[in-house]
Amino acid sequence: MKKIKLTIEGMHCASCGSNIEKVVGKIRGVNSISVSLMTNKAIIEAEDSVNMEEIKKSISRIGYKIINVE
Amino acid sequence: MDHNHANNESVEEREIISWKRKLIGAWFFTIPIALVMLLDKFFEIKIFSEQLMIILLLILGFPVIFIFGFQTIKSGLKGFTSFYFNMDSLIALGTLIAYLTGIASFFVLIQDYSGISAMIMAFFITGKFVETKARGRASQEIKKLLELGAKKARILRNKQEIEISIEEVQIGDILIVKPGEKIPTDGVIIKGQSSVNESMVTGESIPVDKKLNSNVIGATINQEGILYIKATKVGKDTFLAHIIELIEEAQSTKVPIQAMADKITSIFVPTILIISMLTFVGWSFFSQDLSKAFGVAVAVLVIACPCALGLATPTALMVGSGMGAKKGILIRKGEAIQTMKNVKTIIFDKTGTITKGNPEVTEIYSKDNEHLLEIAGNMEKLSEHPIAKAIVKKTDLKDYKQVKNFKVISGKGLEGTILGKKIVIGNEVLMNDKNISLKGFESVINDFEGKANTVLIVSENKKIIGIIGVADTIKEDSKNAINKLNMEGYRTVMITGDNEKTAKAIAHQVGIKEVIAKVLPEEKSNKVKELQKRGMVAFVGDGINDAPALKQANVGIAIGTGTDIAIESGDIVLARGSLRGVVAAIILSKATFRKIKQNLFWAFAYNVIMIPLAIGGVIHPVLAEIAMALSSITVVTNANLLRRKRI
Repeated sequence: MKKIKLTIEGMHCASCGSNIEKVVGKIRGVNSISVSLMTNKAIIEAEDSVNMEEIKKSISRIGYKIINVE
Repeated sequence: MDHNHANNESVEEREIISWKRKLIGAWFFTIPIALVMLLDKFFEIKIFSEQLMIILLLILGFPVIFIFGFQTIKSGLKGFTSFYFNMDSLIALGTLIAYLTGIASFFVLIQDYSGISAMIMAFFITGKFVETKARGRASQEIKKLLELGAKKARILRNKQEIEISIEEVQIGDILIVKPGEKIPTDGVIIKGQSSVNESMVTGESIPVDKKLNSNVIGATINQEGILYIKATKVGKDTFLAHIIELIEEAQSTKVPIQAMADKITSIFVPTILIISMLTFVGWSFFSQDLSKAFGVAVAVLVIACPCALGLATPTALMVGSGMGAKKGILIRKGEAIQTMKNVKTIIFDKTGTITKGNPEVTEIYSKDNEHLLEIAGNMEKLSEHPIAKAIVKKTDLKDYKQVKNFKVISGKGLEGTILGKKIVIGNEVLMNDKNISLKGFESVINDFEGKANTVLIVSENKKIIGIIGVADTIKEDSKNAINKLNMEGYRTVMITGDNEKTAKAIAHQVGIKEVIAKVLPEEKSNKVKELQKRGMVAFVGDGINDAPALKQANVGIAIGTGTDIAIESGDIVLARGSLRGVVAAIILSKATFRKIKQNLFWAFAYNVIMIPLAIGGVIHPVLAEIAMALSSITVVTNANLLRRKRI
C-alpha cells in the first residue's frame, strides 16, 4: 500500500473531479481515490505494484494535467 | 513540500489570471455584439442589412468562442471522444450549436443565434472568474498557513552569525532568534528565555513562557528575549507542515451527506445531454419551429450545472476547516462534521485531557519518609508513566540502586526486587492481587483519595511501608468548558484508570456527574462501545494512549500536547490542550454542517426548478447562462458567509 498525492490542473467543475475519480478508480491496483476541487489535489491509495504511468495517462486522456506527483 | 505548495498556489492563481484575461477579451468583442443586438431588437434600429448583421456577429463572435473560449471548447469536446463528459461539454455544445445557426441561416430559414452564443460564452467565463476567485477566498486561511513559515534563519556557525534560507537549516543547527522575530523551525531552547506568541499555529492567544529546554514551534513569534534554539525538526516534519498536510488531506475526505449530490454529479452531464436532445426533438415536433427548438435546447444545455451541487460541500468544508485552523481546531475527517450533530455523550479522558497531565506528589504518609522515597524513587525511575515521573522528581535521588525482576503491571503498578527485598508499588487492586493487606492504612488511603489524589501504596516484602498521594492539576478552563457542554444538554462522562474516589473528586471539581473509574488503558474502547448503545459518542483524549478509544468513538477528538500532535488518531485534532477547543469544535462542526445543508438545498432547488423552466422554453438562453453562473457563485459565496459564525 502506498499513498500518492497528485496536483492536477484544469479541473473547472464538479464533474471534472468525479470523472477523474471514475477513470482512476478503474485502474488495477488503485484502492481508492479522492479528488478535492478546493485544493486541486487527488489522494490515491494504491498497491505498491500500481502502474503510475497508467494513472498519468488516464488522467491526461480525459483532459487534465498532472503538475506534481508526491 | 514547499515546492509542492508553491505549485498548488500557482494552479489557482494561474487560473484566476487566465480567466481574467479571457474575461476581458471576451467582453471586448461581446459588448459591441450586445449593443447592436439591443438596438436591433428593442429599438428596431437597423444599422446594417440583415445579412451583413449576421456576418458581423459571426466575425465578432468568432474570437469569443474559439479564442477566449478555446479551452472550454476543447475540454468540452474531449468529453465526446472519451465519454467522460464535464460541464464544459454542455457549454461547448450549447455555444457551438448556437454559433452554427448563424452560418446555417445563410442556407436555411433559421434564426441566427451566433450573437447569443458569444454572450453565453462571455457570461460563462465571467461566472468562472468570479467563482474561482470566491473559491480562492474560501481557502484564504489555509493559504495564510502556507505562507506562515519563516523564509530565512539566522544560525550560529563557527561562532559567527550568518543568515541562511530556511531550506538550508539542518537538524542540530543553532538558531538565533531576536525579539519580534519569527522562530524559523521547530526546536528546543538551549539558551535564553522569552515568551512566544503561538497564536498563529495553535490558536492560543496568550504568549507562552519559554525557558531552557522548552520546545518551540516554527513560525511562531518570539516576544522579548533573545533565544538560542537547537533545530529539532525541519521541512516536512515540522509542526506547521503537519498541520497544513492534515488540513489539505481533510479536503479530500467525504462528508456523507454529499454522497447523493456526488452520484447526481457523476451522471449529470450525460443526462442533460439526453434531456436537451429530447427537448429539441419535442419542440421541433410540436411547435414546428426549428429556431425556437434550437433556442430551447441551448437554454437547457447552459442552464444545467453540476457545479453548485458539486461545490456545496467542499467549499463549506474548506471555509470551516480554515476557521478551525485559526483557532487550533483541525478537522481531519469531513465525516466528523456530520456525525457531530448526533452526538449525545461526550467522554473525557482524565489525565492530560481534563487535567494538565503533569502530576505531582502532594501527600506522603509513612514512618520513615526517606526510606519510602528511596524505595519508590528507585522503582519508578524505570517507568515511563507520568505518575512515575512525578515521584522521581520528588525523590530526586543522587544514585540509584539496582532493581531486579522489574515488571510493569499495566494500569496497576510496578514490582521488582531491591537488595533482595520484594517491592510492590501500585494501587489497591494490585495489593489485593498480591495478597498484601491494607489493614491500618484504609483511612489514610481514603483521605488521600478524597482529595483527588492518585494513591500509590508502597510495600516491602508484602508489608506496607507507606502511602504516596499524587495529584494532577486541573486545566484552568476545563470547568468552564464542561459547564457549557452540560448546559447544552450533553451527557458528560469522565473515564480514568484511577479508583472511584479519586476520580469522583476530580469529576466533582469540573462538574462531571458520571465517572467510569478503574478502567485499564486497553479497556477504554470497550467502555466507549458500551456507551454507544445509548447514542453517538464523542471521545476526548490524548492521541497517544487513547488511540483505540478515539477510533471507537463516533467522533474522536484528539488533544495535542504542546509541540506534538497526535495526527493519526482522532477525527478532529485540537492543537492546544484547552477543553474550550471541544466546545468550539462542536459549534464549528454544527455551523459548517448547516451551511452544507443550505448549499445542497439551494443547489438541488436550483436545478429542479430551472431545468424544467428551460425545457418549457420560458428562459432565454442568455438568461439561462446567467442563472447558471449565479447558481455556483451563490453556493461558494454562501460558504464564505460561514465566517460570520463566531467560534
